[in-house]
Amino acid sequence: MLKKIECFIQPSKLDTIKDAIFSAGAEGLSVTDVRGVGRQRGYTAEEKPKKKVKFLPKTKLEIVVDEEMVEDIIALIKKLGRTGTIGAGKIFVVPVEDAVRISTEEVGKSAIY
Amino acid sequence: MQSTKFNPWEMALEQLDSVARKMKLNPNVHAILRHPKKSLIVSIPVRMDNGSVRVFTGYRVQHNISRGPGKGGIRYHPDVTLDGVKAMAMWMTWKCAIVNIPFGGAKGGIVCKPEEMSSDELERLTRRYTSEIILMIGPERDIPAPDVNTNQQIMAWIMDTYSIDKGYSVPGVVTGKPLSIGGSLGRNEATARGCVYTLMSAVKYLGLDLHRQRVVVQGYGNVGWNSAKLLFEQGCKIIGVSDVEGGIYNSDGLDPYKVYEHSRKTGSVVNYKEAENLTNQELLTLNCDILMPAAIETQITKSNARRIKAKVLLEAANGPTTPEADKILEDKGIFVIPDILANAGGVTVSYFEWVQGMQAYFWSEREINLKLRDIMQKAFDNVYRLSRKKKVTMRTAAYILAVSRVADAHLTRGLYP
Repeated sequence: MLKKIECFIQPSKLDTIKDAIFSAGAEGLSVTDVRGVGRQRGYTAEEKPKKKVKFLPKTKLEIVVDEEMVEDIIALIKKLGRTGTIGAGKIFVVPVEDAVRISTEEVGKSAIY
Repeated sequence: MQSTKFNPWEMALEQLDSVARKMKLNPNVHAILRHPKKSLIVSIPVRMDNGSVRVFTGYRVQHNISRGPGKGGIRYHPDVTLDGVKAMAMWMTWKCAIVNIPFGGAKGGIVCKPEEMSSDELERLTRRYTSEIILMIGPERDIPAPDVNTNQQIMAWIMDTYSIDKGYSVPGVVTGKPLSIGGSLGRNEATARGCVYTLMSAVKYLGLDLHRQRVVVQGYGNVGWNSAKLLFEQGCKIIGVSDVEGGIYNSDGLDPYKVYEHSRKTGSVVNYKEAENLTNQELLTLNCDILMPAAIETQITKSNARRIKAKVLLEAANGPTTPEADKILEDKGIFVIPDILANAGGVTVSYFEWVQGMQAYFWSEREINLKLRDIMQKAFDNVYRLSRKKKVTMRTAAYILAVSRVADAHLTRGLYP
Protein backbone atom coordinates (compact mmCIF):
# COMPACT_ATOMS: atom_id res chain seq x y z
CA MET A 1 0.00 0.00 0.00
CA LEU A 2 1.12 3.54 -0.71
CA LYS A 3 1.57 6.23 1.91
CA LYS A 4 2.03 9.95 1.59
CA ILE A 5 4.54 11.57 3.87
CA GLU A 6 3.54 15.15 4.30
CA CYS A 7 6.08 17.09 6.29
CA PHE A 8 6.69 20.68 7.29
CA ILE A 9 10.30 21.68 7.72
CA GLN A 10 12.47 24.75 8.09
CA PRO A 11 13.13 26.13 4.56
CA SER A 12 16.89 26.01 5.17
CA LYS A 13 16.74 22.22 5.57
CA LEU A 14 15.15 21.55 2.18
CA ASP A 15 18.35 21.08 0.17
CA THR A 16 19.88 18.33 2.27
CA ILE A 17 16.58 16.59 2.89
CA LYS A 18 15.56 16.42 -0.78
CA ASP A 19 18.84 14.81 -1.83
CA ALA A 20 18.73 12.32 1.02
CA ILE A 21 15.16 11.33 0.21
CA PHE A 22 16.08 10.54 -3.39
CA SER A 23 19.12 8.55 -2.27
CA ALA A 24 16.82 6.57 0.00
CA GLY A 25 14.80 5.47 -3.02
CA ALA A 26 11.86 7.87 -3.26
CA GLU A 27 11.01 8.62 -6.87
CA GLY A 28 9.44 12.04 -6.55
CA LEU A 29 8.47 14.82 -4.25
CA SER A 30 6.57 18.09 -4.31
CA VAL A 31 7.56 21.18 -2.42
CA THR A 32 5.39 24.12 -1.41
CA ASP A 33 6.35 27.27 0.43
CA VAL A 34 3.79 27.63 3.18
CA ARG A 35 3.15 29.64 6.28
CA GLY A 36 2.22 27.80 9.42
CA VAL A 37 1.93 27.84 13.12
CA GLY A 38 2.19 25.16 15.78
CA ARG A 39 2.18 24.96 19.55
CA GLN A 40 4.67 27.86 19.75
CA ARG A 41 2.00 30.16 18.26
CA GLY A 42 4.57 31.53 15.82
CA TYR A 43 7.07 32.70 18.40
CA THR A 44 10.63 31.39 18.42
CA ALA A 45 12.27 29.93 21.54
CA GLU A 46 13.93 33.28 22.28
CA GLU A 47 10.71 35.33 22.01
CA LYS A 48 8.13 35.67 24.73
CA PRO A 49 4.83 34.37 23.28
CA LYS A 50 1.99 36.86 23.13
CA LYS A 51 -1.70 36.26 22.57
CA LYS A 52 -1.57 37.21 18.90
CA VAL A 53 -0.80 34.17 16.73
CA LYS A 54 1.94 34.69 14.13
CA PHE A 55 2.69 32.64 11.04
CA LEU A 56 6.21 31.50 10.30
CA PRO A 57 7.53 30.49 6.87
CA LYS A 58 7.85 26.73 6.46
CA THR A 59 8.44 24.36 3.57
CA LYS A 60 5.99 21.54 2.92
CA LEU A 61 7.19 18.32 1.32
CA GLU A 62 4.86 15.69 -0.07
CA ILE A 63 6.36 12.33 -0.87
CA VAL A 64 4.38 9.27 -1.92
CA VAL A 65 6.19 5.98 -1.26
CA ASP A 66 5.51 2.31 -0.73
CA GLU A 67 4.71 1.72 2.93
CA GLU A 68 7.86 -0.34 3.34
CA MET A 69 9.90 2.84 2.90
CA VAL A 70 7.99 5.03 5.32
CA GLU A 71 10.10 4.35 8.42
CA ASP A 72 13.36 5.05 6.59
CA ILE A 73 12.11 8.34 5.18
CA ILE A 74 10.79 9.46 8.57
CA ALA A 75 14.15 8.62 10.16
CA LEU A 76 15.93 10.71 7.51
CA ILE A 77 13.67 13.72 7.90
CA LYS A 78 13.96 13.54 11.68
CA LYS A 79 17.74 13.38 11.49
CA LEU A 80 18.25 16.07 8.86
CA GLY A 81 15.34 18.34 9.81
CA ARG A 82 16.36 18.75 13.43
CA THR A 83 17.28 22.32 14.38
CA GLY A 84 17.96 21.74 18.06
CA THR A 85 15.07 23.96 19.00
CA ILE A 86 11.27 24.15 18.80
CA GLY A 87 9.68 24.93 15.44
CA ALA A 88 11.70 22.38 13.46
CA GLY A 89 8.49 21.04 11.90
CA LYS A 90 6.24 17.99 11.76
CA ILE A 91 5.81 14.81 9.79
CA PHE A 92 2.42 13.33 8.89
CA VAL A 93 1.84 9.95 7.30
CA VAL A 94 -1.34 9.64 5.26
CA PRO A 95 -2.74 6.52 3.55
CA VAL A 96 -2.97 6.82 -0.22
CA GLU A 97 -5.78 4.79 -1.71
CA ASP A 98 -4.46 4.77 -5.26
CA ALA A 99 -2.12 6.51 -7.69
CA VAL A 100 -2.25 6.91 -11.47
CA ARG A 101 0.58 8.02 -13.75
CA ILE A 102 -1.21 10.11 -16.32
CA SER A 103 1.19 9.52 -19.23
CA THR A 104 1.16 5.73 -19.14
CA GLU A 105 -2.00 5.07 -17.10
CA GLU A 106 0.06 2.89 -14.76
CA VAL A 107 -1.63 2.50 -11.40
CA GLY A 108 -0.70 1.82 -7.78
CA LYS A 109 2.93 1.22 -6.95
CA SER A 110 3.81 1.18 -10.67
CA ALA A 111 2.63 4.77 -10.97
CA ILE A 112 5.27 5.83 -8.43
CA TYR A 113 8.28 3.62 -9.16
CA MET B 1 -8.03 -34.20 -15.10
CA GLN B 2 -9.72 -33.84 -18.45
CA SER B 3 -8.20 -36.11 -21.05
CA THR B 4 -4.71 -36.06 -19.57
CA LYS B 5 -2.65 -39.05 -20.51
CA PHE B 6 -0.33 -38.77 -17.54
CA ASN B 7 -1.22 -39.08 -13.88
CA PRO B 8 -1.64 -35.56 -12.44
CA TRP B 9 -0.58 -36.66 -8.96
CA GLU B 10 2.70 -38.04 -10.34
CA MET B 11 3.20 -34.77 -12.21
CA ALA B 12 2.57 -32.78 -9.02
CA LEU B 13 5.05 -34.97 -7.12
CA GLU B 14 7.67 -34.56 -9.85
CA GLN B 15 7.29 -30.79 -9.66
CA LEU B 16 7.71 -30.90 -5.89
CA ASP B 17 10.73 -33.21 -6.11
CA SER B 18 12.41 -31.03 -8.69
CA VAL B 19 11.87 -27.86 -6.65
CA ALA B 20 13.00 -29.65 -3.48
CA ARG B 21 16.32 -30.48 -5.17
CA LYS B 22 16.80 -26.91 -6.41
CA MET B 23 16.08 -25.32 -3.05
CA LYS B 24 17.70 -28.08 -0.93
CA LEU B 25 14.47 -28.62 0.97
CA ASN B 26 14.70 -30.28 4.37
CA PRO B 27 14.17 -33.99 3.50
CA ASN B 28 11.78 -34.57 6.40
CA VAL B 29 9.52 -31.72 5.29
CA HIS B 30 9.82 -32.97 1.71
CA ALA B 31 8.61 -36.42 2.78
CA ILE B 32 5.62 -34.92 4.57
CA LEU B 33 4.69 -32.65 1.65
CA ARG B 34 4.74 -35.67 -0.70
CA HIS B 35 1.62 -36.96 1.08
CA PRO B 36 -1.76 -35.28 1.40
CA LYS B 37 -2.64 -34.76 5.05
CA LYS B 38 -6.10 -36.21 4.73
CA SER B 39 -8.01 -37.91 1.88
CA LEU B 40 -11.63 -38.80 2.27
CA ILE B 41 -13.56 -41.01 -0.17
CA VAL B 42 -17.31 -40.96 0.26
CA SER B 43 -20.19 -42.85 -1.32
CA ILE B 44 -23.11 -40.54 -1.98
CA PRO B 45 -26.48 -42.25 -2.41
CA VAL B 46 -28.89 -39.98 -4.24
CA ARG B 47 -32.56 -40.50 -4.98
CA MET B 48 -32.97 -39.71 -8.69
CA ASP B 49 -36.09 -38.10 -10.14
CA ASN B 50 -37.32 -41.46 -11.46
CA GLY B 51 -37.35 -42.91 -7.95
CA SER B 52 -34.23 -45.06 -8.28
CA VAL B 53 -31.17 -44.58 -6.10
CA ARG B 54 -27.75 -43.99 -7.62
CA VAL B 55 -24.55 -44.06 -5.62
CA PHE B 56 -21.90 -41.51 -6.61
CA THR B 57 -18.29 -41.35 -5.47
CA GLY B 58 -16.94 -38.13 -4.00
CA TYR B 59 -13.61 -37.00 -2.61
CA ARG B 60 -12.26 -34.30 -0.37
CA VAL B 61 -8.51 -34.01 0.10
CA GLN B 62 -6.53 -31.67 2.32
CA HIS B 63 -2.94 -31.57 1.16
CA ASN B 64 -1.50 -29.27 3.80
CA ILE B 65 -2.94 -27.03 6.49
CA SER B 66 0.24 -25.72 8.15
CA ARG B 67 -0.49 -22.13 7.08
CA GLY B 68 -4.23 -22.15 7.76
CA PRO B 69 -7.45 -23.96 6.88
CA GLY B 70 -7.65 -25.92 3.64
CA LYS B 71 -8.93 -24.07 0.60
CA GLY B 72 -9.94 -25.41 -2.76
CA GLY B 73 -12.78 -25.97 -5.17
CA ILE B 74 -15.19 -28.84 -5.69
CA ARG B 75 -15.42 -30.27 -9.19
CA TYR B 76 -18.33 -32.22 -10.68
CA HIS B 77 -16.99 -34.18 -13.64
CA PRO B 78 -16.96 -37.77 -14.94
CA ASP B 79 -13.12 -37.72 -15.07
CA VAL B 80 -12.66 -36.88 -11.38
CA THR B 81 -10.18 -39.28 -9.73
CA LEU B 82 -8.59 -39.40 -6.31
CA ASP B 83 -5.15 -38.77 -7.82
CA GLY B 84 -6.46 -35.75 -9.72
CA VAL B 85 -8.01 -34.31 -6.58
CA LYS B 86 -4.79 -34.94 -4.60
CA ALA B 87 -2.75 -33.12 -7.25
CA MET B 88 -5.08 -30.13 -7.32
CA ALA B 89 -5.06 -29.98 -3.51
CA MET B 90 -1.27 -29.80 -3.60
CA TRP B 91 -1.37 -27.04 -6.23
CA MET B 92 -3.78 -25.13 -3.99
CA THR B 93 -1.25 -25.34 -1.16
CA TRP B 94 1.34 -23.66 -3.38
CA LYS B 95 -1.08 -21.11 -4.81
CA CYS B 96 -2.22 -19.89 -1.38
CA ALA B 97 1.39 -19.69 -0.24
CA ILE B 98 2.51 -17.62 -3.24
CA VAL B 99 -0.02 -14.87 -2.60
CA ASN B 100 0.67 -15.31 1.11
CA ILE B 101 -2.91 -15.77 2.22
CA PRO B 102 -3.36 -17.85 5.40
CA PHE B 103 -4.79 -20.96 3.78
CA GLY B 104 -3.54 -24.44 3.08
CA GLY B 105 -4.47 -26.52 0.06
CA ALA B 106 -7.50 -28.73 -0.45
CA LYS B 107 -9.72 -29.93 -3.26
CA GLY B 108 -12.84 -31.99 -3.75
CA GLY B 109 -14.82 -33.63 -6.49
CA ILE B 110 -17.69 -35.90 -7.38
CA VAL B 111 -17.64 -38.36 -10.27
CA CYS B 112 -20.83 -37.41 -12.13
CA LYS B 113 -22.23 -35.91 -15.32
CA PRO B 114 -23.98 -32.79 -14.07
CA GLU B 115 -25.32 -31.91 -17.53
CA GLU B 116 -27.40 -35.11 -17.42
CA MET B 117 -28.84 -34.35 -13.97
CA SER B 118 -31.81 -32.21 -13.00
CA SER B 119 -31.43 -29.28 -10.63
CA ASP B 120 -33.23 -31.25 -7.90
CA GLU B 121 -30.87 -34.20 -8.34
CA LEU B 122 -27.87 -31.88 -8.20
CA GLU B 123 -29.21 -30.32 -5.01
CA ARG B 124 -29.68 -33.73 -3.35
CA LEU B 125 -26.21 -34.82 -4.54
CA THR B 126 -24.63 -31.64 -3.18
CA ARG B 127 -26.41 -31.79 0.17
CA ARG B 128 -25.59 -35.46 0.75
CA TYR B 129 -21.96 -34.93 -0.28
CA THR B 130 -21.74 -31.98 2.14
CA SER B 131 -23.19 -34.13 4.88
CA GLU B 132 -20.66 -36.90 4.15
CA ILE B 133 -17.65 -34.55 4.31
CA ILE B 134 -19.06 -32.33 7.06
CA LEU B 135 -16.49 -33.43 9.63
CA MET B 136 -13.72 -32.23 7.36
CA ILE B 137 -15.01 -28.80 6.35
CA GLY B 138 -15.72 -25.59 8.26
CA PRO B 139 -14.55 -21.97 8.31
CA GLU B 140 -11.54 -22.91 10.46
CA ARG B 141 -10.93 -26.33 8.87
CA ASP B 142 -11.44 -26.38 5.14
CA ILE B 143 -13.38 -24.01 2.90
CA PRO B 144 -14.69 -25.30 -0.47
CA ALA B 145 -15.31 -23.09 -3.51
CA PRO B 146 -16.69 -23.48 -7.05
CA ASP B 147 -14.67 -25.29 -9.69
CA VAL B 148 -15.52 -27.06 -12.97
CA ASN B 149 -19.35 -27.47 -13.22
CA THR B 150 -20.04 -26.09 -9.74
CA ASN B 151 -21.47 -22.62 -9.23
CA GLN B 152 -22.91 -20.10 -6.77
CA GLN B 153 -26.08 -22.13 -6.32
CA ILE B 154 -24.16 -25.25 -5.37
CA MET B 155 -22.11 -23.20 -2.87
CA ALA B 156 -25.38 -21.90 -1.41
CA TRP B 157 -26.62 -25.49 -0.92
CA ILE B 158 -23.35 -26.44 0.79
CA MET B 159 -23.58 -23.40 3.06
CA ASP B 160 -27.21 -24.17 3.88
CA THR B 161 -26.59 -27.85 4.61
CA TYR B 162 -23.63 -27.05 6.85
CA SER B 163 -25.57 -24.27 8.60
CA ILE B 164 -28.56 -26.53 9.27
CA ASP B 165 -26.23 -29.11 10.79
CA LYS B 166 -24.73 -26.46 13.09
CA GLY B 167 -28.02 -24.77 13.89
CA TYR B 168 -26.94 -21.29 12.80
CA SER B 169 -25.78 -19.58 9.59
CA VAL B 170 -22.13 -20.15 8.76
CA PRO B 171 -21.24 -18.08 5.68
CA GLY B 172 -17.50 -18.76 6.13
CA VAL B 173 -17.79 -22.46 5.26
CA VAL B 174 -17.68 -21.86 1.50
CA THR B 175 -16.70 -19.08 -0.88
CA GLY B 176 -18.10 -18.21 -4.27
CA LYS B 177 -21.52 -17.79 -2.67
CA PRO B 178 -24.27 -15.60 -4.12
CA LEU B 179 -24.14 -11.98 -2.89
CA SER B 180 -27.43 -12.41 -1.04
CA ILE B 181 -25.91 -14.83 1.49
CA GLY B 182 -22.48 -13.31 1.98
CA GLY B 183 -20.73 -13.54 -1.37
CA SER B 184 -18.10 -10.95 -2.18
CA LEU B 185 -18.26 -8.18 -4.73
CA GLY B 186 -15.61 -8.57 -7.39
CA ARG B 187 -15.50 -12.37 -7.09
CA ASN B 188 -16.63 -12.99 -10.69
CA GLU B 189 -13.87 -10.93 -12.24
CA ALA B 190 -11.27 -11.78 -9.60
CA THR B 191 -9.21 -14.35 -11.52
CA ALA B 192 -9.13 -12.18 -14.65
CA ARG B 193 -8.21 -9.09 -12.65
CA GLY B 194 -5.45 -10.98 -10.87
CA CYS B 195 -4.03 -12.09 -14.24
CA VAL B 196 -4.13 -8.54 -15.56
CA TYR B 197 -2.38 -7.18 -12.45
CA THR B 198 0.46 -9.68 -12.79
CA LEU B 199 0.75 -8.80 -16.48
CA MET B 200 0.91 -5.09 -15.65
CA SER B 201 3.83 -5.78 -13.33
CA ALA B 202 5.50 -8.03 -15.90
CA VAL B 203 5.39 -5.51 -18.76
CA LYS B 204 6.91 -2.93 -16.47
CA TYR B 205 9.89 -5.16 -15.65
CA LEU B 206 10.25 -6.13 -19.30
CA GLY B 207 10.27 -2.49 -20.35
CA LEU B 208 7.14 -2.83 -22.48
CA ASP B 209 4.13 -0.55 -22.62
CA LEU B 210 0.81 -2.30 -22.10
CA HIS B 211 -0.77 0.00 -24.69
CA ARG B 212 -1.12 -1.58 -28.10
CA GLN B 213 0.30 -4.95 -26.99
CA ARG B 214 -1.25 -7.57 -29.25
CA VAL B 215 -3.08 -10.09 -27.10
CA VAL B 216 -4.41 -13.56 -27.91
CA VAL B 217 -6.79 -15.18 -25.42
CA GLN B 218 -7.58 -18.89 -25.61
CA GLY B 219 -10.93 -19.57 -23.94
CA TYR B 220 -13.82 -17.15 -23.66
CA GLY B 221 -15.38 -18.29 -20.40
CA ASN B 222 -15.39 -16.23 -17.23
CA VAL B 223 -11.62 -15.71 -17.13
CA GLY B 224 -10.98 -15.36 -20.86
CA TRP B 225 -13.77 -12.90 -21.53
CA ASN B 226 -13.17 -10.77 -18.42
CA SER B 227 -9.45 -10.65 -19.14
CA ALA B 228 -10.02 -9.66 -22.76
CA LYS B 229 -12.34 -6.89 -21.57
CA LEU B 230 -9.95 -5.60 -18.90
CA LEU B 231 -6.95 -5.68 -21.24
CA PHE B 232 -8.94 -3.93 -23.97
CA GLU B 233 -9.73 -1.20 -21.45
CA GLN B 234 -6.01 -0.97 -20.69
CA GLY B 235 -5.39 -0.17 -24.35
CA CYS B 236 -4.29 -3.62 -25.52
CA LYS B 237 -5.26 -4.87 -28.95
CA ILE B 238 -7.14 -8.16 -28.67
CA ILE B 239 -6.26 -9.82 -31.98
CA GLY B 240 -7.52 -13.35 -31.33
CA VAL B 241 -9.85 -15.22 -29.01
CA SER B 242 -11.29 -18.73 -29.00
CA ASP B 243 -13.55 -21.16 -27.22
CA VAL B 244 -14.08 -24.89 -27.41
CA GLU B 245 -15.58 -24.58 -30.95
CA GLY B 246 -12.57 -22.74 -32.39
CA GLY B 247 -11.03 -19.30 -32.65
CA ILE B 248 -11.28 -15.98 -34.46
CA TYR B 249 -8.56 -13.60 -35.57
CA ASN B 250 -8.34 -10.00 -36.73
CA SER B 251 -4.92 -8.34 -36.89
CA ASP B 252 -6.56 -4.92 -36.49
CA GLY B 253 -8.06 -5.97 -33.17
CA LEU B 254 -11.42 -7.23 -31.96
CA ASP B 255 -13.95 -5.51 -29.74
CA PRO B 256 -14.29 -8.01 -26.87
CA TYR B 257 -17.75 -6.71 -25.92
CA LYS B 258 -19.11 -7.33 -29.42
CA VAL B 259 -17.45 -10.76 -29.51
CA TYR B 260 -19.09 -11.55 -26.18
CA GLU B 261 -22.50 -10.49 -27.52
CA HIS B 262 -21.95 -12.62 -30.62
CA SER B 263 -20.94 -15.60 -28.50
CA ARG B 264 -24.00 -15.21 -26.27
CA LYS B 265 -26.29 -15.13 -29.28
CA THR B 266 -24.74 -17.95 -31.29
CA GLY B 267 -23.17 -20.07 -28.53
CA SER B 268 -19.61 -19.56 -29.76
CA VAL B 269 -17.12 -16.87 -30.76
CA VAL B 270 -16.59 -18.52 -34.19
CA ASN B 271 -18.11 -16.98 -37.34
CA TYR B 272 -17.81 -13.49 -35.86
CA LYS B 273 -18.27 -11.23 -38.87
CA GLU B 274 -15.28 -8.93 -38.36
CA ALA B 275 -12.73 -11.75 -38.10
CA GLU B 276 -11.51 -14.89 -39.77
CA ASN B 277 -12.00 -18.31 -38.20
CA LEU B 278 -9.08 -20.51 -37.18
CA THR B 279 -8.46 -23.56 -35.02
CA ASN B 280 -7.34 -23.42 -31.39
CA GLN B 281 -3.96 -24.79 -32.46
CA GLU B 282 -3.53 -22.02 -35.06
CA LEU B 283 -4.61 -19.45 -32.50
CA LEU B 284 -1.87 -20.42 -30.05
CA THR B 285 0.85 -19.87 -32.61
CA LEU B 286 -0.40 -16.49 -33.87
CA ASN B 287 2.05 -13.64 -34.12
CA CYS B 288 1.30 -11.71 -30.93
CA ASP B 289 2.92 -10.12 -27.86
CA ILE B 290 0.90 -11.68 -25.08
CA LEU B 291 -0.57 -15.16 -25.20
CA MET B 292 -3.10 -15.98 -22.55
CA PRO B 293 -4.29 -19.60 -22.32
CA ALA B 294 -7.50 -19.34 -20.28
CA ALA B 295 -9.10 -22.66 -21.16
CA ILE B 296 -8.03 -26.15 -20.12
CA GLU B 297 -4.84 -28.02 -19.22
CA THR B 298 -2.01 -29.17 -21.52
CA GLN B 299 -2.58 -26.80 -24.44
CA ILE B 300 1.03 -25.82 -24.98
CA THR B 301 2.96 -29.00 -25.61
CA LYS B 302 6.28 -30.03 -27.13
CA SER B 303 4.55 -30.21 -30.51
CA ASN B 304 3.54 -26.51 -30.66
CA ALA B 305 5.80 -24.76 -28.13
CA ARG B 306 8.50 -24.09 -30.73
CA ARG B 307 6.01 -22.17 -32.89
CA ILE B 308 4.77 -19.87 -30.12
CA LYS B 309 5.62 -16.30 -31.02
CA ALA B 310 4.43 -14.37 -27.97
CA LYS B 311 6.85 -12.48 -25.73
CA VAL B 312 4.81 -13.17 -22.61
CA LEU B 313 2.82 -16.29 -21.74
CA LEU B 314 0.19 -15.46 -19.16
CA GLU B 315 -1.16 -18.73 -17.73
CA ALA B 316 -4.72 -17.97 -16.69
CA ALA B 317 -5.71 -21.64 -16.94
CA ASN B 318 -4.35 -24.30 -14.60
CA GLY B 319 -1.50 -26.34 -16.08
CA PRO B 320 -1.78 -25.10 -19.69
CA THR B 321 1.90 -25.85 -20.37
CA THR B 322 3.45 -29.31 -20.22
CA PRO B 323 6.91 -29.66 -18.59
CA GLU B 324 8.52 -30.45 -21.99
CA ALA B 325 6.96 -27.35 -23.53
CA ASP B 326 8.12 -25.33 -20.56
CA LYS B 327 11.73 -26.20 -21.33
CA ILE B 328 11.26 -25.10 -24.95
CA LEU B 329 9.69 -21.79 -23.90
CA GLU B 330 12.61 -21.20 -21.54
CA ASP B 331 15.11 -21.77 -24.36
CA LYS B 332 13.16 -19.39 -26.58
CA GLY B 333 13.29 -16.72 -23.87
CA ILE B 334 9.51 -16.40 -23.54
CA PHE B 335 8.58 -14.77 -20.25
CA VAL B 336 6.12 -17.06 -18.44
CA ILE B 337 3.79 -15.85 -15.71
CA PRO B 338 3.07 -19.28 -14.21
CA ASP B 339 -0.47 -20.44 -13.43
CA ILE B 340 -0.05 -20.69 -9.67
CA LEU B 341 0.88 -17.00 -9.64
CA ALA B 342 -1.18 -15.65 -12.55
CA ASN B 343 -4.55 -17.13 -11.62
CA ALA B 344 -4.26 -16.75 -7.85
CA GLY B 345 -6.61 -13.74 -7.94
CA GLY B 346 -9.57 -16.08 -7.64
CA VAL B 347 -8.46 -17.65 -4.38
CA THR B 348 -7.37 -14.24 -3.12
CA VAL B 349 -10.86 -12.79 -3.45
CA SER B 350 -12.19 -16.06 -1.99
CA TYR B 351 -10.00 -15.23 0.99
CA PHE B 352 -11.56 -11.74 1.09
CA GLU B 353 -15.02 -13.32 0.99
CA TRP B 354 -14.09 -15.58 3.92
CA VAL B 355 -12.67 -12.63 5.89
CA GLN B 356 -15.80 -10.55 5.21
CA GLY B 357 -18.02 -13.47 6.24
CA MET B 358 -16.07 -14.00 9.47
CA GLN B 359 -16.25 -10.27 10.28
CA ALA B 360 -19.85 -9.97 9.06
CA TYR B 361 -18.71 -6.69 7.53
CA PHE B 362 -18.62 -6.21 3.76
CA TRP B 363 -16.29 -4.12 1.64
CA SER B 364 -16.90 -2.05 -1.48
CA GLU B 365 -15.86 -3.41 -4.85
CA ARG B 366 -13.21 -0.72 -5.18
CA GLU B 367 -11.71 -1.70 -1.85
CA ILE B 368 -11.64 -5.35 -2.92
CA ASN B 369 -10.00 -4.59 -6.26
CA LEU B 370 -7.33 -2.39 -4.67
CA LYS B 371 -6.55 -5.01 -2.02
CA LEU B 372 -6.37 -7.66 -4.75
CA ARG B 373 -4.00 -5.51 -6.79
CA ASP B 374 -1.76 -4.98 -3.80
CA ILE B 375 -1.53 -8.72 -3.12
CA MET B 376 -0.97 -9.67 -6.77
CA GLN B 377 1.71 -7.01 -7.29
CA LYS B 378 3.52 -8.09 -4.14
CA ALA B 379 3.35 -11.73 -5.14
CA PHE B 380 4.67 -10.92 -8.62
CA ASP B 381 7.50 -8.79 -7.20
CA ASN B 382 8.52 -11.54 -4.79
CA VAL B 383 8.55 -14.22 -7.49
CA TYR B 384 10.32 -11.98 -10.00
CA ARG B 385 13.06 -10.95 -7.55
CA LEU B 386 13.62 -14.57 -6.53
CA SER B 387 13.85 -15.66 -10.17
CA ARG B 388 16.53 -13.00 -10.82
CA LYS B 389 18.42 -13.77 -7.64
CA LYS B 390 18.49 -17.55 -8.14
CA LYS B 391 18.68 -17.30 -11.95
CA VAL B 392 15.72 -19.65 -12.39
CA THR B 393 12.51 -19.41 -14.42
CA MET B 394 9.45 -17.63 -13.04
CA ARG B 395 7.77 -20.99 -12.57
CA THR B 396 10.64 -22.45 -10.56
CA ALA B 397 10.86 -19.25 -8.51
CA ALA B 398 7.14 -19.39 -7.80
CA TYR B 399 7.43 -22.98 -6.61
CA ILE B 400 10.51 -22.25 -4.50
CA LEU B 401 8.74 -19.33 -2.83
CA ALA B 402 5.60 -21.34 -2.18
CA VAL B 403 7.30 -24.48 -0.93
CA SER B 404 9.64 -22.50 1.32
CA ARG B 405 6.71 -20.66 2.92
CA VAL B 406 4.88 -23.92 3.61
CA ALA B 407 8.09 -25.56 4.87
CA ASP B 408 8.76 -22.58 7.16
CA ALA B 409 5.29 -22.81 8.65
CA HIS B 410 5.63 -26.54 9.13
CA LEU B 411 9.08 -26.36 10.72
CA THR B 412 8.04 -23.51 13.01
CA ARG B 413 5.03 -25.42 14.26
CA GLY B 414 7.03 -28.62 14.65
CA LEU B 415 5.97 -32.23 14.33
CA TYR B 416 3.42 -33.61 16.78
CA PRO B 417 4.03 -35.38 19.10
